[in-house]
Amino acid sequence: MPQLKESVLDALKTEESRRAFLAKFASAVFAGLVAPAVAGEVAPVQAAAAEQSGLTDEFDATQLPEAVEGEHPIKRMMADLRRALQKPMEQRRWGMVIDLRKCTGCNGCNVACITENKLPPGVTYRPVMTETHGTYPNVARRFIPRPCMQCDNPPCTPVCPVNATWKRSDGIVVVDYDKCIGCRYCITACPYAARSFDSGYFYGDFEGGERQPYELLPSPEYGENRVRAEEGSPIGNVRKCHFCIHRIERGELPACTLSCMGRATYFGDLNDSKSLVSELIGQPNVMRLREEMGTEPKVFYLV
Amino acid sequence: MTSLKNIKVARRDFLKAAGASAGGIAALATLGSGFRPIDAAAQATLSQQGTRIAYTACVMCPAECSLAVKVENGVASAIYGNPHAPLNSGVVCAKGASGLQMVYNANRIKYPMIRVGARGEGKFKRVSWEEALDYIGEKLIKIKQQHGAESVIMDAGDVTDRDPYYYLFRAFGTPHTVEHGAICDTPRRHGPKLMFGGKRVEPDIMRPVLVRQPDGSLKNDYRYRTRLIVYAGWNPFTATRIVYESRGTVEAKLAGARLIVIDPAFSNTATKADQWIPIRPGTDPDLFAAVLRYILENHSDDDPFRRYIDWSFLQYSQGWEEFEAAFRSWWNKKDPINGLNYFSLEWAAERTGIEAEVIAELAHTFGITKPAAWVWGMNGIGHHYNGYTAAIIGTALNVITGNMETPGGAIDTELVKSDKGGKVKGDDFNKRDVTRVVNGKTVTGKQEELHMDLFGKWCAAWDDAVGDYPSRFLEGVELKYGPFRGHKYPIKAFIIRTGNPVITGSNTDAWIEALTAKDGDDYRVDLVVYIDTPFLETGLYADVILPEASYLERMSLSDIYPSHQLIYLRDFVLEKMYESKTQYDIAMALAHKLHEKGDSDIKPEDHWEKYPTEEDFWNEALKVAPGRTHCGYPLPYPQYPVNYKLLGTPDSLEEGSVTIDDEKKVIQGEPVTVQWLRTHHGVAVWPMSWGRFDNGGVLKTDSKKVDFVWDYTVEKDGEKQRKGGYAKYNKLIEAAGEPTPGLQELDWEKYPTTFYWFETLWNPYTNPDFARYKDEYPFQVISGRIHHAMSGTQMVDWLGRIPTEDLWMPLNDDRTVEEVIIGPDGPTPTGRKVYIPQQTWSIGVIQMNRADGEKLGLKTGDLVEMETPLGHKTSGKVYLVETIHPGVLRLPFGGGGRFSPGLGKTYDFRDVTPNANAIVDPDHHSPIMGSPIYGDMIVKVRKV
Ligand code: SF4
Ligand code: SF4
Ligand code: SF4
Repeated sequence: MPQLKESVLDALKTEESRRAFLAKFASAVFAGLVAPAVAGEVAPVQAAAAEQSGLTDEFDATQLPEAVEGEHPIKRMMADLRRALQKPMEQRRWGMVIDLRKCTGCNGCNVACITENKLPPGVTYRPVMTETHGTYPNVARRFIPRPCMQCDNPPCTPVCPVNATWKRSDGIVVVDYDKCIGCRYCITACPYAARSFDSGYFYGDFEGGERQPYELLPSPEYGENRVRAEEGSPIGNVRKCHFCIHRIERGELPACTLSCMGRATYFGDLNDSKSLVSELIGQPNVMRLREEMGTEPKVFYLV
Repeated sequence: MTSLKNIKVARRDFLKAAGASAGGIAALATLGSGFRPIDAAAQATLSQQGTRIAYTACVMCPAECSLAVKVENGVASAIYGNPHAPLNSGVVCAKGASGLQMVYNANRIKYPMIRVGARGEGKFKRVSWEEALDYIGEKLIKIKQQHGAESVIMDAGDVTDRDPYYYLFRAFGTPHTVEHGAICDTPRRHGPKLMFGGKRVEPDIMRPVLVRQPDGSLKNDYRYRTRLIVYAGWNPFTATRIVYESRGTVEAKLAGARLIVIDPAFSNTATKADQWIPIRPGTDPDLFAAVLRYILENHSDDDPFRRYIDWSFLQYSQGWEEFEAAFRSWWNKKDPINGLNYFSLEWAAERTGIEAEVIAELAHTFGITKPAAWVWGMNGIGHHYNGYTAAIIGTALNVITGNMETPGGAIDTELVKSDKGGKVKGDDFNKRDVTRVVNGKTVTGKQEELHMDLFGKWCAAWDDAVGDYPSRFLEGVELKYGPFRGHKYPIKAFIIRTGNPVITGSNTDAWIEALTAKDGDDYRVDLVVYIDTPFLETGLYADVILPEASYLERMSLSDIYPSHQLIYLRDFVLEKMYESKTQYDIAMALAHKLHEKGDSDIKPEDHWEKYPTEEDFWNEALKVAPGRTHCGYPLPYPQYPVNYKLLGTPDSLEEGSVTIDDEKKVIQGEPVTVQWLRTHHGVAVWPMSWGRFDNGGVLKTDSKKVDFVWDYTVEKDGEKQRKGGYAKYNKLIEAAGEPTPGLQELDWEKYPTTFYWFETLWNPYTNPDFARYKDEYPFQVISGRIHHAMSGTQMVDWLGRIPTEDLWMPLNDDRTVEEVIIGPDGPTPTGRKVYIPQQTWSIGVIQMNRADGEKLGLKTGDLVEMETPLGHKTSGKVYLVETIHPGVLRLPFGGGGRFSPGLGKTYDFRDVTPNANAIVDPDHHSPIMGSPIYGDMIVKVRKV
């Protein structure tokens, strides 16, 4: 079913296609796609607050008090997101801006991502790199959180022998776990070391020998709600940051962006000139990692 | 005889929970006498079906952030920050996000246990709650009969939800209810406590703040007004305790503030500083004093470029003249160690290792830049013998420059946070009259006057002096002050909950010695009870171990150090796992047990009859919220009178559903309740204002002013009264005719009435008594906090893999370990062998300046042994870096030498990691309040 899988990963285009899709493939796997709101699993109050159906407001962020000036960044970014979701998928250009001047190196984003995506030992999507220069007492250090760059020109996708990884029309580079054969060519090809291999460890392997309750839960990745178990994908697959598609498609911010301790991480639609991320990348102090590679990353850093 | 059945129920229960199916609320009701099922409202929130978000409060560190926890089919699956709590405003740090691995940790304490081996051996057997409570109840009653209730200590740890324990033990009759703050950083809090009645000065950078607008509306204000922040020995990015200081500091900086960090180590906070000033450890007071002297000497009312002092502070303070005169009286004295005049730039340069021009510039910058905040921290100031002097000068610096309570300036967060607790703290019990026979005479006094610190060795130990407990365990207590002067009693029971003093409360060996000392066949401390979720070292020395429910399974309140009043609920998110119980459950069950066994101090009408459910208990604690004076600008509620106390929910105050009592000066709205919080994302937020010191405002000193004098006389109704922060203790000392041992160490008769100065210990550069050690012991040792590696969170795999700050680095060697897990009978080998590849796990290391290391022929990863002049030793791997002052070694506090199997991988590397507290001086405590002197030690280093 390669065709079908591809459409899963590219499906949440518009409300129409979402509904059509659901109607067509209303199985347990696909229910997760639009869950929890459509499946009625989130408190009704929250579902009602959403302006578009299928959207959630998990934490009632829209109810935050009005600001004297500007807005709470969460509220602002959620509004940006929701605006973007009203457009057809190919007109969105998801991007992330990380303000290195504000990153405190706390690794909150790293762990938030691990828990969000139920990542096993050895797999991280957003490590925070540390760079130290100088000699005492003239030293400098900076922290560089490194999610997938969601390159516009990704060197990782063409090397895949089975077309298991590709760039969606909204710019997110995805992996189809059912197709991935674990050859790891893409890991070598990625200049940012953004991909890692799921070797099948569980946290319980390192302590107590039993699966932890939270690792028995399905991972929301790609809206597929897979339960990770022996022999099954994503074990043996290559995994990477996917901008939390499962969250953004229902109007919620990526887990790292929401949690970021320094409020150093921003997310939104780069094609929308009114979005916070567009505003931020218009600043002169913006840079991208390894620009010289011509990969055209969609993760921007403010320095 | 119910125990067998109970165990069966509980096992089935556990299996159910592990399988994430329906839980066993019903089963709880069948447990022993004292336990009740949780109330219906709480039960309803614990749905096992579907996905829900539950609002609660963290305890992965004492910042206790407000959280939004995602629960899927009864299993917590992800932890997010709660955007509705301005303290963390939706953010969550790595620890907070990783709470799942604490809650579901294989090494959790699952069942009550009783010791079967010797203390420290780690041999336990699983028992029923009935058996455990019988054991504790019988011992407590026997101890009370033989020695008095004051022979019992209840140390309720570092989490603010300790009230059920305080309430019970105060009712039982002991005044010794303790919190962890007492071993943590009392010297740093001393200045604000003495001068404001507060505790913690922090910059005004919590955003958003909810502010009353000119149009009458309440809006969130996200603007940063701060122009300068000085952090001395304070590393908020890594301590994370004042959680808003992470985003606040970097945001304020982007909004134009300057950031100066003073620290021997290039901390994570220093990475964002405009200026990092490395300082010699233990010389913060020297730097602070030189800054104050510079400001006083160079201030000019006429020159706008030198107008450092904002004299308006005189309106809300008293005693500045005396303070200034006492401070100036040192200026002409010469320091015996360098022959220079005290507090001069040259003097400070000599001692701190910072160039005189840099100090002058710092003083000028702080004086001229407004609004600003001068903030000092735990490791820098709280850990030193002389931290008090820095805390006092630091407080004065913020006051005289006009920065206290100005927008963008500094805030004493203790004074402006919401009140909570009220009656359930059990203060009323402490006021009861009790009788003791002292030297053949029958004496009556108040229960609280039996306190071993406040009427014993450390009478100014406002928050107790846990660091000195080992000597009390060994020697017993002799009260020196108050009505019971001369009364002697031993310490016979030590109940420790969410704390681990063996590793964090001063010298480890001293604690072990005290907990294992015997009189004949019996341990001198007859009863040691350990109550917690994780199994830490102190548990190894306990007779009884009780499993406390994790923070996702219990209820209480949180309110840590915000810029204005807010309070949030810690709510039941999950069902209690295994046989764990909440603090309320445990305290009530023990109350039942004591009553059943004939303890007449425990009356049903004070306990289970008064607070039949957990919610009733916390509703009582909420009655006093927010409980602060209505004051400042913009006035929070313009419709209400100023300087009245505010009580009640934000919306009742807003709507005007209040009664105003003009006599008591109270504005009473509808009381905040658990249920109210539940329907408001778990948080209550009252409005912010500034200028809260004007006309008394939130100040809590006797004078309702900022006090620069601490023992003074006022006339009231023709009667002379002694007032001030030290007056009470000085009266006790005068009556007894004997100063405290701490004062005697300083050669003082009494607590000083205003500014004072003394040198720190073990510092060869500032204290002539220790100068002789300079060459043989060339390294000063300090510690750093690692947010990933708090004493009680190191078993968390996610955090264990993340390096931090050159203190917690992936230097583990390749090894295969025989796994030990905390099972039903305590530490149990599982027979599994676990392979840990090298450099995959972060372990505590010794941060050392690269040049220092190279001089000794060391390279990163070499194992070294450190030895103090007292012969204490610890060893670990060195990590050579450019990020630390030469001559200084920094160790992770609680980050090494961890010998409890409950610590997971951290335990596996205990032989190659340093225990900072192994080398702390056990015999000296900071002289005013008895805090351990964690940061005052010197060592020599040898490669092993
Ligand atoms: S960062 Fe790496 S994995 Fe991500 S799109 Fe670019 S090349 Fe591919
Ligand atoms: S966007 Fe989602 S998947 Fe990517 S780093 Fe952030 S949390 Fe992880
Ligand atoms: S959570 Fe934010 S501040 Fe912390 S490391 Fe990640 S990006 Fe940096």
